[in-house]
Amino acid sequence: MIKSMLKLGIVLALFASGACGALAIVYSITGPVIKTQEERALNAALKDIFPTADSFKDITRELTSSDPKIEILNAYEMKEGDKLLGVAVKATGPSYSTNAILLTGINTDGTIKQVRVLQLSDTPGLGANAANPAYYVDKARKITFTGQFIGKKTTDPFIVKDDVQTLTAATITSRSLSEIVKVSGEAASQYLSRKGGAQ
Amino acid sequence: MPVALKIFISALLINNIILMRFIGLCPYIGMSTDVKQSVGMGFAVTFVMVMASTVTWALYHFVLLPLGLEFLQILVFILIIASLVQLVEFYLKKAAPALYLSMGIYLPLITTNCAILAVTFDNITAGHTFFQSIAYSVGVALGFMLAMVLLAGLRTRIRTAAIPPFLRGNPILFVLSSLVAVSFMGFAGLIK
Amino acid sequence: MNQRTSVFLQGLVIENPLAIIMIGLCSALAVTTSVANGIGMSLAMTFVLVTSEVIISLFRKLIPESVRIPIFIIIIAAFTTMVDLVMKAYFPDLSKAMGVFIPLIVVNCIIMGRVEAFASKQSVSNAFLDALGMGLGYTWVLISMSVVRELLGNGTILGIQIMPEAYQPILFFVLPPGGFLVFALFISFNLFMKKKWTKSPSGISDPEGGN
Repeated sequence: MIKSMLKLGIVLALFASGACGALAIVYSITGPVIKTQEERALNAALKDIFPTADSFKDITRELTSSDPKIEILNAYEMKEGDKLLGVAVKATGPSYSTNAILLTGINTDGTIKQVRVLQLSDTPGLGANAANPAYYVDKARKITFTGQFIGKKTTDPFIVKDDVQTLTAATITSRSLSEIVKVSGEAASQYLSRKGGAQ
Repeated sequence: MPVALKIFISALLINNIILMRFIGLCPYIGMSTDVKQSVGMGFAVTFVMVMASTVTWALYHFVLLPLGLEFLQILVFILIIASLVQLVEFYLKKAAPALYLSMGIYLPLITTNCAILAVTFDNITAGHTFFQSIAYSVGVALGFMLAMVLLAGLRTRIRTAAIPPFLRGNPILFVLSSLVAVSFMGFAGLIK
Repeated sequence: MNQRTSVFLQGLVIENPLAIIMIGLCSALAVTTSVANGIGMSLAMTFVLVTSEVIISLFRKLIPESVRIPIFIIIIAAFTTMVDLVMKAYFPDLSKAMGVFIPLIVVNCIIMGRVEAFASKQSVSNAFLDALGMGLGYTWVLISMSVVRELLGNGTILGIQIMPEAYQPILFFVLPPGGFLVFALFISFNLFMKKKWTKSPSGISDPEGGN
């Protein structure tokens, strides 16, 4: 009885180790690729928001989110030479389906420079349009959902349908994303004012 | 409103796992023939789901993550779920043999219930705390039961209805689900 | 009809896993909001199905009966993880769009079901053909559904505008209720096809007599 159970246990263990071994091999190949993907995406996104920046410093620890649902994943101080350009905040928060990740650039004067959607899995044709460069919330002036935040003060109320325009039939996504931008802006402004930059 | 409560309501209604996310359909279609069965199944699923959430959460945060073994997540999680279901089976056989027999094949099938694995994964992706995972899994499980009970009720109703021939059998179930899903979409603005 | 072809064709229509046996549904409805997702999911699922069926068939004499389920799970989970890792590394956008549904392949009833009912008892070549047939049956339903849903719900296929500019996309189709409805229609279409095919003289006899 014990012997047969032992034998079964060994067979199981063999298959399990075989599987783990195979996976470890695949992971050793794909793991680094996955990491570089993420780094490349981050660099591209940071460059996109602050095109003139030539260096960034990780200041993630120094920023705090005012909303428990929204987590600040990374924050970077963007510099061009010695000049402080602003802060870039990568934050995540719940959206319509799963979490969304946004990258928000804040100028030293407390206004938003640019917002980019890094990750959004909401409904295609609805919430997903937040990331669509051809979708305008303001068709007359050709302003996209993220584009509307350019120049906005971080101290604004950020209320959907009030000072924030919504995506058609995607109020929840609009609300969730604008909340993320708001929290990112607040955290960055606090950091900048602590540092002595204007607010 | 406390975050845990928001998570609970969102899981139960707004993002109902079956009607809004399509996860857990097999047992939903297969086991919703009558209301009693659906409730029984619902409770079994709730139990397994909460246990699975807590165990996998702990294992992920205290073992996989510190050791850099995140890539084993799928393997480890599903094995834990399978073992938990086995344990539940053993326990039910001894403690409540009548219930065990009435569940038949559907008890071991809880292992392959997409919803359970999905919930364990969601807890990690959404960065839930331990307590939030519990709130989430209870919400999801009850939402699952709610959807099944609704369909079971509807199925009983239509047993004597005149259904067009090409919709008889499974197709009509999906049409019904489509309508229930529409009504659930109304919950969308429930929590600010 | 020779045995090899019939094994293959079973999965396509007569015992189409999604429309007839009604297993593996979750992923089918959730990812068919766009054709790109539909194709990605089909490929991923078919890969895991084929590799799992082949490996399990290969080792079928070495897997003890009493612990076969955990071993099946280990093997399926390993291949699912491989697909997940490869997708994250080389197709990150697709991987993110599909989210939790890639890991969910491991609990896809189709794979577990076929492995238990077929691969563990049949030769490797039969297992391979069965997996291909089932995979294709899954694929055709997925791609057709996503074409319908993306075309009617968004006016595009694979992101390319197909419908005329004036077409107002009917959002219903990319939303959950639309998914249920389109699927209902597909099941009934598949039932209709099955009835036609199993009535023909050279076809395989259908004991259930249709539904």
